[in-house]
This record gives sequence, C-alpha cells and structure tokens, in this order.
Amino acid sequence: MSARTSRIDLSEIGNRPRDLLAIVLAAAVVGYICWAISQSPQQALQFTFNGLSVGAIYALLAVGFTLVYSTVWFFDLYYGAAAAIGAYGIFYLRSGEALGGQYQVNDPTVNVVFALVTAGVAFWALRELYGRRLRDRFGRRSALGLEAFVGGVLGAYMGVVLAWPGDLNVIFAPAIGLTTLAAVAWLVRAAAGKLTMRTDRSGFAVASVIVGAAMGVVVGVALANAGGSRLYLSWVVACLLAGMVGLAFYRGLYVQIIRRTNSRLIMLVASLGVLLALTALTIIVFESAPRPLPEAFGSAPWQVGGATIKGFNVFAIGVAIAAFVALLLLLKRTSFGKSVRAIGDDEEVAKVVGINTTVVIAIVFFIGAVFAALAGVLNGHDTAIQPRMGLIMLLKGWIASVVGGIGNLYGAIVGGFALGLIEQFGIWNLAGEWKDVVSFVVLILFLSFWPNGLLPRR
Amino acid sequence: MTESTGNAIHTIDLSKHFGAVRAVDDLTVAIPKTGITSIVGPNGSGKSTLVNLLSGTLPLDGGIVIIEGVGLRVVKAHESPQYGVTRTFQEVRLFEQISAWDNIMVVLTERRLIRSLFERVTPSHKETAERILREVGMWEKRDAMAGELSYGQRKLLEIGRALAMDAQTYLFDEPFAGLFPEMLERVKEIVVTMREQGRTLIFISHNMDIVRELPDHLIVLDSGRLLTEGEVDDVLSREEVIEAYLGE
Amino acid sequence: MSLITQAMRGLRASGPLRGIPRANVERIATILVLVWAVGFMLWQGAGFTITLTTVFAIWAILAVSLNLVVGFTGLLSVGHIGFFGIGAYTMAILASDASYDQLRTESIPTPDWPFFAALPIGIAIAGLVALGVGVVFNRFRDDIFVLVSFGFAIISFSFFLNLRELTRGAFGIHEIPRPAFGGWVLDGEVEFLAFALVCLALVVLICWLIVTSSFGRVLTAIREDEEAIAVFGYRVTHFKLAVWVLSAMMAGLAGALFASWTSFIDPNSFILLESMLLTAIVILGGLATIWGSLLGALAFVLLEEGMRFLPFLPPEFVGQARQVVLGVLLVVLMLFRPQGLVGRYQL
Repeated sequence: MSARTSRIDLSEIGNRPRDLLAIVLAAAVVGYICWAISQSPQQALQFTFNGLSVGAIYALLAVGFTLVYSTVWFFDLYYGAAAAIGAYGIFYLRSGEALGGQYQVNDPTVNVVFALVTAGVAFWALRELYGRRLRDRFGRRSALGLEAFVGGVLGAYMGVVLAWPGDLNVIFAPAIGLTTLAAVAWLVRAAAGKLTMRTDRSGFAVASVIVGAAMGVVVGVALANAGGSRLYLSWVVACLLAGMVGLAFYRGLYVQIIRRTNSRLIMLVASLGVLLALTALTIIVFESAPRPLPEAFGSAPWQVGGATIKGFNVFAIGVAIAAFVALLLLLKRTSFGKSVRAIGDDEEVAKVVGINTTVVIAIVFFIGAVFAALAGVLNGHDTAIQPRMGLIMLLKGWIASVVGGIGNLYGAIVGGFALGLIEQFGIWNLAGEWKDVVSFVVLILFLSFWPNGLLPRR
Repeated sequence: MTESTGNAIHTIDLSKHFGAVRAVDDLTVAIPKTGITSIVGPNGSGKSTLVNLLSGTLPLDGGIVIIEGVGLRVVKAHESPQYGVTRTFQEVRLFEQISAWDNIMVVLTERRLIRSLFERVTPSHKETAERILREVGMWEKRDAMAGELSYGQRKLLEIGRALAMDAQTYLFDEPFAGLFPEMLERVKEIVVTMREQGRTLIFISHNMDIVRELPDHLIVLDSGRLLTEGEVDDVLSREEVIEAYLGE
Repeated sequence: MSLITQAMRGLRASGPLRGIPRANVERIATILVLVWAVGFMLWQGAGFTITLTTVFAIWAILAVSLNLVVGFTGLLSVGHIGFFGIGAYTMAILASDASYDQLRTESIPTPDWPFFAALPIGIAIAGLVALGVGVVFNRFRDDIFVLVSFGFAIISFSFFLNLRELTRGAFGIHEIPRPAFGGWVLDGEVEFLAFALVCLALVVLICWLIVTSSFGRVLTAIREDEEAIAVFGYRVTHFKLAVWVLSAMMAGLAGALFASWTSFIDPNSFILLESMLLTAIVILGGLATIWGSLLGALAFVLLEEGMRFLPFLPPEFVGQARQVVLGVLLVVLMLFRPQGLVGRYQL
C-alpha cells in the first residue's frame, strides 16, 4: 500500500465539526441574549414582544406556505400577492374611512373581475361537489344552468359588496343571517337526533328551520345596526377574495402546467409571473405610495414592565396560534386531512385510491392563501401597507418555513416565531433597516449547517 | 502495489447505512483485475450502493477502498477517473437536454477548468466520438436530444459514454435490464470486446442467463454482506446461494 | 394562415421538448421582434432610437451574462441585479466628480478617478463578491437556490441603501463621468451608444467563446446532472463557481456603463423587482441561447417604450403595465413553451 492510504478528509469524521459549530453558535446566541438582557431588561422585554408580534405574522405566512408546499412540493410565489390582496382588500373596502375619505378607490373593473372570480369559483365548487347529484336529478343541461345561475348570483353578490363597501354590514346581513339559519338548523337537528330515538323527524326539521330563521333574523338585524362591524367584515371579505384567487390560479393555471410538465421550477417561474403581474396591478389600482389602514381595536399602547405593548399585537399572536391549532385539527381529525397527507406522500397513489386530488389541492391552496391574506391584514393594521409588501412577506414566510424545517407544519410556526425574535434581537445594535439582511443571513446559516431546519420533516 | 496486484478493487470493512438500514455492512471483498466480475444478490442486498460507494457517488460511512493499490477512506467522485474507474447508472443518468453527440463529447474533453475554457473540439475528439457512437450503434441518432431517445438507446448511449472514458475498471449497474434481445446482444458484444482488451469489468445483473454465460467471477451479496464469491459455476451450485437468491 | 394553424396545433400537443417545429416559432418570434424594433425606430426617429438602443445594450449585457448562469448552468438566479449594482456603485464612488458638492449633505470622499480606471475595479469587485457569495451558494440547487438568490438581491440592496458613508443612501450619487479616451470624452449620446455596443459585442463574443468551448459543454452537463458529470472527473463546484464569477463580472460591466450613462444612480435602480424582471427576460427570450437573451432584452425595451404611446395608459403606469405584460407572458410561456422563445433548455 502506498503512502496515500492514510489520507483523511474532514467529511469523513461525519457531523462532528458541524455539531461543534452548532454548540458554539447556540452558546453565542445565549450569551448574546444574556448580555442584551443585562444591558437593558426593558428593551429586551420590548424586543421580545416585538419579535413575537412580528413572528406571529411570519408564522401565519410560514404555516400556509408549508401547507401548500407539503402538498404540491413547489413554492407558490402567488402567496406574496395573496398577502397584498388581503391588506389591500381592507383598504379597498374601507378607503372611505382610511384617509378620512380623501383617497377613495372603487374601480368598476376591479369589482367586475372579483365578481367573475367569485362566480367562477362558486360554479366550480358546486360542480365538483354536487355536480353528479344535480345531473342525476335534473339532467345535464338543467344542472349546468342551475350551477351557472348559483355561481352568477354569488358573483353578483360579491360585486355588490365590492361596489358599495360603505354599507358592508347591511349588505352582508342577509348572508350572515342565512348562514346562521343553516348552522343553527343543522345544530338543532343534530342535537335532536342524538337526544331522541324517534324515526319520524319531520317535526324537528320544521322546528329547527323556525329556530334557525329566528336566530338568523336576530343576528342579521344586529349586524345591520352595528356600524363598527364593517372593518371586521372587510377582513372576512378580503381573506375570502385572496383565497378564491389562489384557488382560481391553482385550478385555472397550475393544473394545466402540471398536466404538461412535472418540473417544479417551471411552476415556480409561472407563479413568479403571477406575482409580477399582480404586484404591478396593485400599483396601478392603488398607486405605489404607502397607505394606512383604519384603526382596529387595541391600537392604544399599554405599559407593561417598561415595555410598550399594543393589544392588537397580542391579538395577532393569538390569531396565529388559533389558526395553527384549527389547521392542525382539520388535518388530524378529518378525512380531508388524511387526503392532504396522502397527496403529500404521493399524488399518483392518492389518485388511485380514489381521492379527488384536484379538489383537495384546490382547498389547500384556498386555505394557504387565506392564511397569507390574514397575515397581510394583521401586518397592515400594525404598519402601513404598500404594494410591494407582498414580496417581502413572501420571502419572510419562505425563510421561516425553511428555518423551521421544510414541509413540517410545527416547524413552520416555530420557525416563524424564531425568525421574528432573531430579527429583533439581531438589530439590537444595528438600525432597523438591516433586519432583512439579518433574516437572510440567518437563512443562509441554517441552509449551510442545518439544511433540515429546526424541526425536520421525519 | 505489492499485495493487491491481482485485484482491481479491494474493499476492507466497507460500510454504508441509511438511517437504521445497513445497506452495505462491513463488506470485505476483492475484485480481480482480469476478466468480468458480476455482482448478484436479491433486491436491497446493497449491490447498487456498493457501486455508488466505489465510484464516489455516495460517501463512505466506514472502511477502506483500495483501488489501483491506493487505499482511500474517502472516495471523491471527481477523482475516480484518476484511479481508472468509471461507471453507468441503474436509472440511466444521461444529460437529457443535450444531444447524444455532446453526451459523448463531454467526457472526452479537458478536465482542468482554465484549459477547458480555451479548448474547442479537435478532430481527434470527433474521431473518438464517432467511433464510440458507431460502436454502440447510435451514430444515426447523434443529433437527437438524449431525453428523446428510447430506453434501450439511452442505455446504449450511457454505456458509450463510459467507454469514451477509456478507463481500466468499468462499473456497470444493470446494463442488461429492460433491453430488447437485439440490443442485449449488442451490449454483450461490447462487454466481450472489453474483456478482450484486458479491461476490468464489474456489472450488476438480475438476468441469470447472462450471469451463467458472461462473467468469470461472481460476488453474491445479501443484506449488505458478502454471501459468497468465486468461480461462476462453483458459486451458483452452492447451497446458500440457491437458498438466498435463486430459491425464492 | 397555415403557419398559424400549424402553430395552434403544435401548442395543443406541446409537452416537454415537443411541440411546434422549433425553427418555426423561433423564426416567427425573431422576425416579429425585429420588425417591431425597426418600425418603432423609423416612427420615432433618431434621437429616440439612440436612447432605446443604449438601454437595450445595457439590458442585453445583463441578460446574456445571466443566461450563462440560468440557461447554461441551470441555476435559476433572481439576484443578478446585485452584481449590476456593485458595478454601478463602484463606478459612482470611484469616479464621481469630487468638485461637485453632493447637495452638501452626507458628502462622501471620492478619488475622482477617470472612467477607465474605475471600470476594471468595478468589474473586479463584482467578481470578488461573486466569488465569496458563490462559495456559500454552491451547495444550493433548484428552489432553494432561487430563495438564496432572492436573499442576495435583498442584501445587496440593503447595503446600497444603508451604507450611507459609502453610497449616500437614498440621496444617490451625482456627476458620474462618461468614458474618456485621453482628451476625447464620449459626451454625445451617439458616441456613448457606440461604446455601449462595443461592450455588448465584447460580452457576446466572450459568452459565445465560453459556451462553445469544452467548458460550456461541461456547464450544460452540470445543469442536467451534477452527480453524473462528477463521476467523469469534473470538479463541479469549481465550474459552477467559475461561471458564476464570470457572469457577475459582466453584470458589473453593465452596471458601470449604466452609472456612467445616467450620471446619477440611487438604490431604486437596483431593487429586487428589477432583478425578477431581468430573470423573466432571460427566460422569455430563451434559455441556453445567447441570441435568445438579446431578443428578450430587445422585446423588453420595446415593450416599455412602446407602452408610452398607448393613449389610454397614464404615463406613470408605464413601468407597471410592462411588468403586467411580462408576468402574463411568463405564465403563457410556462404553459406552452417552457424553454422561452428561442430556447434550447427548459427548466
């Protein structure tokens, strides 16, 4: 054997240097935090709180992003536009109040476009969910007509909502009333079915509808009289719109591309095109100057232990956690969740075992976009909004999901809060404008040394 | 170069695990320099992993590989040609979106970065590429993108790419799988020619007819361990081989 | 007519690498863009043509150099604007007129070098930064590479904006000189255009030499399968690093030209969105062909300038309208022709 036998390479030692580095870095971080607290406990508390409230937004973004990514395995850049749609949806609906009515936007084209999207999504949903039953009952043509009619009505309703946002609560009252009716009627019937063993339940059906109708009227009237509810109804509308646009892009565009090619990068570039176009359209409709949103509740600052805390931020943290828990319940407890996981493991197999993958993935896109829009709304109320906010929010969500562990929902929420905290503590001695640099440096460190993130996907 | 003159490749306690799975488990095996060696074994017995370890496509977890008398604890993929080793892949990894011609040409040209910047195709490159493309029967298809070829053609092109390396030791991962008889004969011819040229050939195969016919030496793996090795007829008649591999 | 029907049929049948006979689409696209360009120039006259061509030359250098990375090596970079900015800022900091009191605020020391002294430094710094960044980025691939390249664009923008002692931040830097050969200053627009075109020709020539060399072939192989090409004795990381640095140096050259041409730069020219547009141009024109990048840059410049003349479009929205069109085009191409107009590679 020659002398070269004993050549030893660093990579041969396995992960030891990497582990060592991890320990050193972790120690440095802990040391830094201790130092920071010793310097000024108030400021440390303030930064922790700021980090958590920013982290809540990042966490929301990362959770939705991860949900979409772990189902279709490509990074959907529309996601950034969804955040902007959420925030600008509020501005659009509340522009009469936002700047004292000085800059009001209400563009018929925008209303028509979103009405059409709503109509299309409603039509599609009806067709996918009830299409076969309707065809069996009414015949092919009538069923199609019915579906189109319902879609058209819902679209027109959305158009009306968008065209007269000043009376949002009044316009929305019947819809909420009807929803209440349906929910209460369903609850009463279900409860009655559990309580009694009677086979003839027609009496209960009538009773449940009456109770439901009464409740619906009460809720509807209450809503119509409550002017303060407009802002929060706008939240619902904005998130719904962003979600529907996301769904429409999946069904209308991504499905077509997947049929032609299976390249993830092509999907990524297509969604880049979507992001570019939507960002520019936002600027065309709203101009590029930053805008404020009307004040939500909890905007008045409190003093807690020397730190300034806003109730709204606490609410945002709560929303992020609640949304995460709700999503987890949905994924763990329902057959929908099972389907999502099956598709994430192998879409072809899922198709073979009879899962309607298109519908399931479409719903995933809807949920993802709603999460993004919610993040956009919360962020918008916290700071001003601007058309390019979507891009940076997209990147933060992306970073948080990678730092947390690609494809892991728990990782996403941990990563979101971690990124928020790291960013805040990272700019302790720097000016605030360096925080984007801090988060990307964190990303690159993570990718270089722990490419699987904080909580790797199994 | 004292003790291992007779061996092209010699491994000592070679190991590789994926998580809890020991794909190759303290494997000590010698592959003779002359003739054809075939590696056989049931699915998941670590055959492909062994080839990947020897060519540096996967990093070793432990053990030593002795190639050309040089002991290596780390086999780097880009250094494997220096030891005269080249390979094909089980799942046919061609450069899909460039032409068949360029697929061959790319392994003929300069390895050193700066020089490759100033090197252009020479007549001798062209000659070699043409000879190899004709040898594997892909001359007519030279301008087609590799991704557009049929499976058999891709397999042949990949073997051609390995031939273009003009190496001493060839690792072929399932060169006969999924081929029509006509193409199978062509691959056999190529393999026999290579033996006549005095090159070392190591291939993995599931095709028992070919395993009986072609190789001089047989290595049987099972669960990442060496089950047995030796002359073909001898090995194939051993009890444990029949039990572990042929019996199922 | 038959061409169109044929094209439609091809579009319907298009899958990876299939579809319409390649030559047809390429010919149609090329002719369309060229006719558009010539018609536009004839209509608008010489002065406008000169401006337009200069803008084209700068974008074309950027696009061609980025195509080396995206099209030939398969690294989908969205951060190329960073190197462009580094070239521009180096030129601005080294060469801007020292006697011009930069608005009397936050003035920065400038050595007041001539253009040709600052140019090589700018290119070298872009290359050095690329070397450092490339060493870190080398391990990333596919969508993660996209993400970290976004990061590079954001980080470099942050430096341009926030490193005020060096870049004057949002104030920008004024009075960046034009190139001068001895006493002959290229003050006129025509002279500068000629100089820009010479630079473009040089870049195209270098890129052509690179992609037709053995090096270029190895790049395409790396793009297709990094692990496989390594087995044949190539040090993949070195090749990737080399092309990354070369491409960055060309972008640095484009940046220096840009700074000198506009004589004023501020961070707004180097935002992430511009970088995304640049990547879009490269994909649009065609991956892995130099000609495609030239075509893409030309179409892009024409698109913006052409939109100025749309009667219903308010002038402040021209840039946005261009971006909308580009985004939509990108989507349509990914649907029907993922390799771009005249491309030789699809992602």
